[in-house]
Amino acid sequence: MSEAHYHEDHGAVAGAPLIELVDVRAAYGTIEVLHGINLSVPQGSVVALLGPNGAGKSTILKVVSGLLQPTSGEVRLAGRVVNGASADELARIGLCTIPEGRGVFPNLTVRENLWMATMSGVSLADVEEIAYARFPRLGERRKQLAGTLSGGEQQMLSMARALSVNPSVLLLDELSMGLAPLVVANLYEVVAQVSQEGVSILVSEQFARTVLGIAQYAAIVLHGNISRVGTPAELEDELSAAYLGS
Amino acid sequence: MQTFLQYTILGLALGGAYFIAASGLVVTYTTSGIFNFAQGAIAMLAVFTYWQFRWGWGWPAPLALLMVLGILAPLLGAVLYQVVMKNLRGTSEVTKIIVSIGVMLGLQALATWVWSPTSSTPRQFQKFLGPKAFAHFGSLTVPWHIIISFIIAIAIAFGIRFLFVRTRSGVAMRAVVDDPELLQLNGGRPERLAMISWAGGSFLAALAGILIQPMIGSAMSAGALTLLVIDAFAAAMFGRLRSLPRTFMGALIIGLTTTYVVAYFPSKWTWSSSFRNSLPMIFLFIILLVLPQDRLRGATVLRLRERFRMPSIRTAWIAGLTMMIVVFCLKVIMAKTGVNTLTLALTFAIIALSLVLLTGFAGEINLAALSFGAIAVMVVYHFGVSGTGTAARTTLWGILLAAVVTALVGALIALPALRLRGLYLALATMAFGVFVSRMVLTERTEREIFGLKFTLFTAGQLAIPRPKIGPIDFNGQDAFLFLCAGLFVAIGIGMVYLRHSGYGRRLTAMKDSPAASATLGMSVVRLKLSIFMMSAAIAGIGGVMMAAQIGTVNADRFDIFLSLALMMITVVGGIGYVSGALFAGIFLIAFIEALNLLLKKFALDYSTLEAIFMFFVSAVTVLPATIGITMGKNPSGAVSDIAEGMNLVKQSKPLMITVLGLEAAIWALTATEVITNWNFVILTLANLILVPLVGGKFLMARAMRGVPKPVPPELIGIDRPFTDEDLAAMDHALNLESIVIPSSTTVREEPANASA
Amino acid sequence: MPLLETIGVKVRFGGNIALDDVSISVEAGSVTGLIGPNGAGKTTLFNTITGLQPLTGGQIIFNDKDVTKEPPHKRTRMGLARTFQRLELFTTLSVRDNVRVAGEIRNRWSLRTPKMDVNAETDRIISLVGLNDVVDREVGEIPTGKARVVELARALMIQPTLVLLDEPASGQTEEETEQFGKLLRDLAGEGLGICLVEHDMALVMQVCETIHVLDFGRMIASGSAESVRNNPTVIDAYLGAPESVG
Repeated sequence: MSEAHYHEDHGAVAGAPLIELVDVRAAYGTIEVLHGINLSVPQGSVVALLGPNGAGKSTILKVVSGLLQPTSGEVRLAGRVVNGASADELARIGLCTIPEGRGVFPNLTVRENLWMATMSGVSLADVEEIAYARFPRLGERRKQLAGTLSGGEQQMLSMARALSVNPSVLLLDELSMGLAPLVVANLYEVVAQVSQEGVSILVSEQFARTVLGIAQYAAIVLHGNISRVGTPAELEDELSAAYLGS
Repeated sequence: MQTFLQYTILGLALGGAYFIAASGLVVTYTTSGIFNFAQGAIAMLAVFTYWQFRWGWGWPAPLALLMVLGILAPLLGAVLYQVVMKNLRGTSEVTKIIVSIGVMLGLQALATWVWSPTSSTPRQFQKFLGPKAFAHFGSLTVPWHIIISFIIAIAIAFGIRFLFVRTRSGVAMRAVVDDPELLQLNGGRPERLAMISWAGGSFLAALAGILIQPMIGSAMSAGALTLLVIDAFAAAMFGRLRSLPRTFMGALIIGLTTTYVVAYFPSKWTWSSSFRNSLPMIFLFIILLVLPQDRLRGATVLRLRERFRMPSIRTAWIAGLTMMIVVFCLKVIMAKTGVNTLTLALTFAIIALSLVLLTGFAGEINLAALSFGAIAVMVVYHFGVSGTGTAARTTLWGILLAAVVTALVGALIALPALRLRGLYLALATMAFGVFVSRMVLTERTEREIFGLKFTLFTAGQLAIPRPKIGPIDFNGQDAFLFLCAGLFVAIGIGMVYLRHSGYGRRLTAMKDSPAASATLGMSVVRLKLSIFMMSAAIAGIGGVMMAAQIGTVNADRFDIFLSLALMMITVVGGIGYVSGALFAGIFLIAFIEALNLLLKKFALDYSTLEAIFMFFVSAVTVLPATIGITMGKNPSGAVSDIAEGMNLVKQSKPLMITVLGLEAAIWALTATEVITNWNFVILTLANLILVPLVGGKFLMARAMRGVPKPVPPELIGIDRPFTDEDLAAMDHALNLESIVIPSSTTVREEPANASA
Repeated sequence: MPLLETIGVKVRFGGNIALDDVSISVEAGSVTGLIGPNGAGKTTLFNTITGLQPLTGGQIIFNDKDVTKEPPHKRTRMGLARTFQRLELFTTLSVRDNVRVAGEIRNRWSLRTPKMDVNAETDRIISLVGLNDVVDREVGEIPTGKARVVELARALMIQPTLVLLDEPASGQTEEETEQFGKLLRDLAGEGLGICLVEHDMALVMQVCETIHVLDFGRMIASGSAESVRNNPTVIDAYLGAPESVG
């Protein structure tokens, strides 16, 4: 499938695509959950995946991050096909993934959690400096076990990694899950800030409104297919129906 | 006071060595999720290797230490992980246990092969800095090597702590425990960390072995050394396989109590040395009993994903009948020694049936099947023999009483099973087995309880005569062979009936999903008690038959390692099937024996190649373990390929007629003494393995011309059954807590086939 | 008097609060829905009700009895059955045997349990839920949608007064879901109490008299389908709070 063709399918998405999924199918064992996903994330933009639970948003992110190999189709990063690369390889070449749930090691301290982020090649001193500057509360708790932090603080900790490892791509899975609105707003401010630094961001969200404010494009995922792609304004009306039924 | 200090220091040093071994277990378990049963065997191998370098070849101690601890031990750990353990990710807990037991038995066989225990000079291990190096603290005199041991233990404790807190790799190892996937997303490599941890764990095992050996001071023995480090299991369990400080505490408690027993128990108590030896196992059992209960989870740690298709009752009867006929035909052509071996194999098969019932049907584990046999044998010896001398016979009542007593002991072992599953249960039963070996089977002294005088294991060996049941005397070898075959068939068919009953279905339900069973209102207490009792009784009966076949048995016949090997081979054969038990008995006893004899005969016949054949004779001792280890590479079991051929035979009439016809011809030739028994064995093996293989290829080629259509993904599960890979991938993707897998969908040979 | 009541149920995992002061009730002869975004605590609530998850605080009242301290099997024997979101079928048994063994377990509850004719009841339940076409298949071989129906059939075998259904429709085709909805209404019509956790809102809206909404482990709304659907708090919970709420 040619690129031009694919852009026509889903409405033009401007800019050179940094992440591209071409006709990606993926399955858990024998149950196919993605039935041919076409999607592109232009350099430096935020693309939101929206849709109800179980629609396949997280699976798309798992495929991009290398945790799940697609059964067919291609995943491209900056034009290179990365099918078959493992998650750690991708992480070391500049893909930062904040997985669903809290992306922290509960039995490691805050500082040790940040230490793990240095595996992608940055120094611990830099990571700590950036993290504590942006989230002073983490600095106060650097010796505390991450599992004893509040949900919001844990999410800050995982976002601190995104901030400090200079990724070229950031994948966020259900960032706001289980968090109070104020915390979520704070976290998305960080996402917007990261985006302004030129990082391409793909984010899945159940809570559509929180993300539409910063996303340039959104895709509605339903039953393992992308049912609609558009700008946030274009999609707002359809969301309620997608979640709560018409 | 002097004594107290002396023994305290000794206890601390011993505890220190236990801690080193236990910390190795904790490190490997946390990073790879595999409990390394081979930890003791690695320690043992290191001790032998060190001995070889140091005293065998006279290397200086630092060089020998560097070689063993710095190079060989870590290398062994890393290789074990890369070659064997890595493949176990996502397999069932039984497979993990079996494979690491396989490694343990393999290393042991290897050590016995290289360092023959029958060697004329006992291998002595000297203390560090020599036997006469003592440190003096006031009035206290302490051997230097004790002090060295304790200092090293402390250093290791701090070293591990430093590693885990101050180095990125160490912190990453802790991170793997929390969330391997997240570590990968951070750019870490969980696989490499696991390999490093195995290298480290192996180093710690080796170090522990080298420190402990001079403390016990006796001649080196592969079995004893392996078991010695198994004592460290209790310490690791004290730390719940996680906490190193708790492990340290547990190790010191065990080290101290065992030395205090030696110091303060009155010397007239003849059992105190046995007690001291079994103390760690008693600790282990108790710790497991009081461990906080697992929450009822959905996926059981033991779920064997393979769908064991139980044969219909009709098939079971046909198979049973076939087996009796085959046994009869074999008896006709066999030499007397052959009949002996076959009978012994069948008695082991009966014991293996108890494992099929317990693990295959109910999902529980027992690693000490032969210990139940030992108990039954003691009961029969004391209460079940009538007559004396050559007229002595085991009575039916004796056998029944033995079954009842073992069933009651089985109920005792079921107590931890009410709370524990998988690995913990495996360890509890193993503790029981070692306890029986060390405490009960060493009872040679006469005791008096309530005026009743008795000796449990008289003179270290018990004579068990052949049974006489009603008017039928089974004293003759042939009669006894048929009794054992009949017993196996009867119990086997009974088990198939059981599996088809409501009780059998409830067992399966309990095995497949404890959570669902509980929410259907099942109370597992009675079910678990009953299945453990039944299984123990079968093991007991099998044990009595085994003893009656041998005539006079000593404690070695009920060795824990033999129990482990039997469990391992039963899993290889197919733990869900009656035929798996038959395979285990035949393979472990008859096949190995036959192979041994055959190779020795070749060595005699072709004297120029003697060395090569004798090499293979030694290699055969490693064979069962090797087959156990291959379960990791191919969880469907090493025999699945052969079994596949057998399936083809069943499906294709022409092939079946060919095989049966050829077999009948071979048998007839042997019966008329045209060909020798050895040729019979070789031709039979060729017939049963090669013909299906060749025929299968031919049939396959023909079938391929028919329908080579691949199944579209949506229809997998509808058009073809889920394969193990599908399920594993799914479990993994869905992040199920305990990923469970298979050992076989294809191992399904009929008893008649396996017995050949 | 409701059949089941949870009073101020609280569950804490380490530092995280999974359920906070949740009080719901289920009436006999009715279908009660339990909805909420992913991670809201629905399955955890089911686990506390059935006794698989100990609670940190609060009470579970079933059949006018405080069962908070009872083990799972005792609660079942009082008439409480459930299905599992992550299928918990007896994977080595056929569909029929999965259903049949539930009856056999039930007949063994105690000596006083009136015995049922297991074979007859198995046949009745299997045709009631519509599993006749797969009855002799291995449960591992049938599609997930069907497997969920097997779980329901198994639960019905113990002749419960209340069934908790955890996402029974996921994996079902639209047609199957529609039939399933009818079945639930029929069962409720016969007096069975049903509590339904489900993401298929169409189904929930169609069959439930009452709906409880959980979010962040708290009850944020309860009422009729219509009132819940139009409740702004619920819409916010699903779509995320509008930025003005902050």
